[in-house]
Amino acid sequence: MILYKKIYVFILCFIMLVALSGCLGGREINDLEIVIGMGIDKDKDTGDILLTAQIVNEKEAGGASGEGGGGGGKAYWNVNSIGKSIFDAARQITHKTGNRLFVSHNQVVIFGHDVAAEGLQKHIDFFLRAHEMRPTTLILVAEGRASDIMDAKPETERFPAMNITKLVKTYGFTSHLYKVNMKDFATCLMSGTSATFAPLVTVSQDRENKDVFVPGMAVFKNGKMVGKLSHDEVRGVLWVLGKVESGVVIVPSPDGKGKAVLEIVNAKSKVKPEIKDGRIIFHIKIEEELSLSEQTTRENLATVPGFGKVQEAAGKVVRQEIMAAFERSKELRLDIFGFGEMLHKKYKNEWKIMEHNWDDIYPTIELDIHVDSRIVSNDLLRRPASPDEGGE
Amino acid sequence: MGTDKGKINGRQLLFMFAGFIQGSALLIDFTVGITEHQTWMVILAGLIVTIPFILSYAALAKRFPGNDLVRINDMVYGRFIGKALSLYYIFFLSMTLSFNILDVGELYVNFLMPDTPFFFLLSVFAAVIAYAVYKGIEALAKVSHLFVATSLFVIITTSVLLADQMDFSRFLPLFELPFIKLLQGIHIMSIIPFGETIAFLMIMEHMNDTKGPARYSFFGVLVGAASLLIVSVRNTAVLGRTQTIWTSPSFQSIRLIDIGTVLTRMDFLIGIAQTMLIFFKCSIFLYALTTALSQLFGLKSYKPLVLPVVGIEVIIAATVFQSPVDHAEITQNAGIIYSAPLIYLFPPLTLLIAKIRGLPKTERSRGK
Repeated sequence: MILYKKIYVFILCFIMLVALSGCLGGREINDLEIVIGMGIDKDKDTGDILLTAQIVNEKEAGGASGEGGGGGGKAYWNVNSIGKSIFDAARQITHKTGNRLFVSHNQVVIFGHDVAAEGLQKHIDFFLRAHEMRPTTLILVAEGRASDIMDAKPETERFPAMNITKLVKTYGFTSHLYKVNMKDFATCLMSGTSATFAPLVTVSQDRENKDVFVPGMAVFKNGKMVGKLSHDEVRGVLWVLGKVESGVVIVPSPDGKGKAVLEIVNAKSKVKPEIKDGRIIFHIKIEEELSLSEQTTRENLATVPGFGKVQEAAGKVVRQEIMAAFERSKELRLDIFGFGEMLHKKYKNEWKIMEHNWDDIYPTIELDIHVDSRIVSNDLLRRPASPDEGGE
Repeated sequence: MGTDKGKINGRQLLFMFAGFIQGSALLIDFTVGITEHQTWMVILAGLIVTIPFILSYAALAKRFPGNDLVRINDMVYGRFIGKALSLYYIFFLSMTLSFNILDVGELYVNFLMPDTPFFFLLSVFAAVIAYAVYKGIEALAKVSHLFVATSLFVIITTSVLLADQMDFSRFLPLFELPFIKLLQGIHIMSIIPFGETIAFLMIMEHMNDTKGPARYSFFGVLVGAASLLIVSVRNTAVLGRTQTIWTSPSFQSIRLIDIGTVLTRMDFLIGIAQTMLIFFKCSIFLYALTTALSQLFGLKSYKPLVLPVVGIEVIIAATVFQSPVDHAEITQNAGIIYSAPLIYLFPPLTLLIAKIRGLPKTERSRGK
């Protein structure tokens, strides 16, 4: 009896060994078309979606010896296809690649200007819904066509898509742009009143070299691109949102003969909406810590009164940047700061009435800005390298 | 005594309650679409509403030591009504079990193994729970703390890794949704994670603790509810308003983990934890279902029932719904209606009748 049972179990194990091993639906790495960047444009002739996928060329990218690997060929392959929708185009592309695109490692999706102006709402669905896509994939908008951006070969990076990702992820050095991923974009899209952003990219021709450059950010209203913000305007928004990481603030030196160049070390913000006598006021309090990174005047700025004056001037710069962004947003009639959402969180009953004509109310809101700037470091110099003992 | 001679102690019962409720962590997503950023308060309210009922189950188990739900029904309502009521409970257990098996299948097909045939996944999973149940309640109880610990580990680690992406202003404004939506949310919440603990009335008879199961069930439910609360707070703080659009907010928030581009793609963590916990929950359901059936038919052992029942359950799971959308709709609407009396009405009523009739009668009448 026991022997029978043993034989039975043995046969069962053997069957399972044969039947259950192996990977159902497994895909070997050499069969994968690993996508690291995608560009979405509108096809000029048909008006359909033109998808450009940047695929890693394993043979060329594999070499350890820097650029290009073996035969000096490109480490990537930009392949494109046309389809009625993004998913359709992603499937049409198999006519060229012979394999399904593997988008798990996709770093960035770039939308062409014409697609962005038409509205991204309908295009973003695929990127949120697809299994393999990550919600951390970055979104950018090209000033021209996305496929041109994907073609601009960077000097130090092997892949254009990686280069663009790097440009966006290091926004903190200047705080002139901001990283926006699929999930952030979807969040803003779901808010009826706030604007949505995405960094802009363009190709700048520098002699023979084509360089990819981020000139600012695109602003969307209800998913449609309606304008651009310059570097300073973006920083104006980021001050309010408390997302400034670092950057440079330049103020004229107190003696008027040069400049003090400050680096932002730390910045925080607090925004409190208030409704008072029918007026809507946003109290914005910004605390920034700076370090004196450079000065072009002979006067020693690293003194208590010197710092005091520079701090005051730095505060003014911040205020100017915020006001510039606010003026621009009034021009666009678009709530780029998300003030509506802040109001909603504090005054939910009043918001129900205001929500529907927020576009009209928005230009009438008032900002009450307080900037508290402190210089916390003068780095390696106690005084500038000038012949006389600084100052008069 | 029932058809299984296993014994469990109080602490094991506590962990079983906790693991059982944690097993519903993905099911709170049913409520998120309705209650949005207020889900956390719905969990708390659901807990507060359901605690007295859960205590009534414990009180029943204490009042009728060594008896399970089917016998209690027989004793309190008589042979015919009691049996009919037990059948109602069996229907509930069987539907809930098949829905939970289906949840595992959907979890795998949606997130982990999209190319594997659905029916195959369900069968493998069902075979494992059948094996666990075959081993008896004691075996399950002995490992219950491992399940709870793993799940707590995953919940806490992922919350810490997501801390930099949390924005607590996403919970504002605190009270925004119409009350009716909250009420619907509370109803779902009190039935799905908490009310389903009615299945423990088939298990509490195995307690070897004379003090009764009330204390342990209470703390077990608290641990489970705390886990759900952390999950819900994490999802809302990380995802904000987008949490209502995803099939599984938990999965999406974990996919956002990105620590220095190295610690990413942690989906597998939630895959592991969720598989383990749904396994645990389904095992308890299957145990409750098979023992209830064996009691109803007067069998000596529940074991011969395990395989056929689990087969039926898999077939129900694989065929009853056309799509996940269908599944969600029916669970949100019909599911919580037919199970409501079993959770809110009958246990307290049974307790009341037992008190009035002075049941259970002395040893003599309880004999053979």
